[in-house]
Amino acid sequence: MTPNHPRNLTNRHNALKSTGPRSVAGKQASSQNSRKHGLNSAPDFESSLEYRALVDLIAEEGFSAFACADIAAGLLNYRRVMDAYYDTYTSPEPVDEFLRDANVKASSPIFRELLSPSGSEPQDVREMAAFFASMQRQERRKGGPVSRRTTDTHKLIRYQRNGIARLSRAVRQG
Amino acid sequence: MLYNDHFGIYVDVAMPVEDKSKSLLPFLSSPKLLPNESEAEFQSGLQSLLSELDNPSPLAVALVSQLNECLWWIKRHTVDKELLLHEAMARLLFKAGSHWMPSGNSKLSVALEHYLDGIAHKEEADLIEQALTGGNLTLSDLRVRAFKDAAKHIKMVDDLIHRQHQTMRHLQRSIDSIDYKSRLLKRMDLELAALESKQPVKGALTLDAEPS
Repeated sequence: MTPNHPRNLTNRHNALKSTGPRSVAGKQASSQNSRKHGLNSAPDFESSLEYRALVDLIAEEGFSAFACADIAAGLLNYRRVMDAYYDTYTSPEPVDEFLRDANVKASSPIFRELLSPSGSEPQDVREMAAFFASMQRQERRKGGPVSRRTTDTHKLIRYQRNGIARLSRAVRQG
Repeated sequence: MLYNDHFGIYVDVAMPVEDKSKSLLPFLSSPKLLPNESEAEFQSGLQSLLSELDNPSPLAVALVSQLNECLWWIKRHTVDKELLLHEAMARLLFKAGSHWMPSGNSKLSVALEHYLDGIAHKEEADLIEQALTGGNLTLSDLRVRAFKDAAKHIKMVDDLIHRQHQTMRHLQRSIDSIDYKSRLLKRMDLELAALESKQPVKGALTLDAEPS
């Protein structure tokens, strides 16, 4: 299909009517939609009050100015990682109990009943039951709340490793 | 002013140790506890670690508080291992009795927990025993199968615990480094003060003296 195919042009025209966020605040909010823990973004510690207070306090211990800046940033970064770790641990993806516990074999008559007014074929019912079964398999594979939070927290190991290595290096080289 | 026996001089202490040690903590977000965890237990662990510090500087205290948090996470993850096993056992039991069992997995999980703790009601005990019979399982069989099922997640928890141990090693090395640095600085100050006290008029000032 060429770029100027009528269907493409229609799609582009219709896309202009789409209702996405228009205000600055709305765009900013929607930019965070897929944010999970925020640990991949570069933090701006230098402008925070905590950072300056930490630098002043660490300087009293006889560290050089560069070392103080490194240690303060390292400490705040490590705390940021551990806060994300806690948040991930305490809010795992919720378990869909209905989907997990439902009896798939018993679902076919229900689908048949739901689809019968539209004159559906047995094939449609089979496909819908198969789709339902695959969703259930996915849900069961994720396990219960403890398995989910373990899987999610496990993904943060590398951030923790990098965070503590940065802090430790700053302190020992200071 | 404190009197140092070794060097025979007085040393100035600007700020009480207790005040200094707590000054860095308010700038770091405090570790959060889960609803069923005891804050008193957490604080007592922290205090016992702090009491082992020879030189509780603010930075050392901040690092020790992170170390205490690591110990706390190890404790949480160790409990998680048992919970994972329990979760897998409930899943297997539900699978075994899914064709007749009216209740969902959650109810079965609670019943299993009570059954294992020995505080199950008659209904709960019947439900578990019926499911075990239906699946042709004994409790130890169930546990073995559940361990096999949950092995992947248990391995993940082991990784998490291992990471906390590694973090603790890093923190310990940092604390040692701060301790060593402060001792070195103190020792140099004392040696300088001793030199100055031995040569009150011109001794330590030889560097500033005019060349002859």
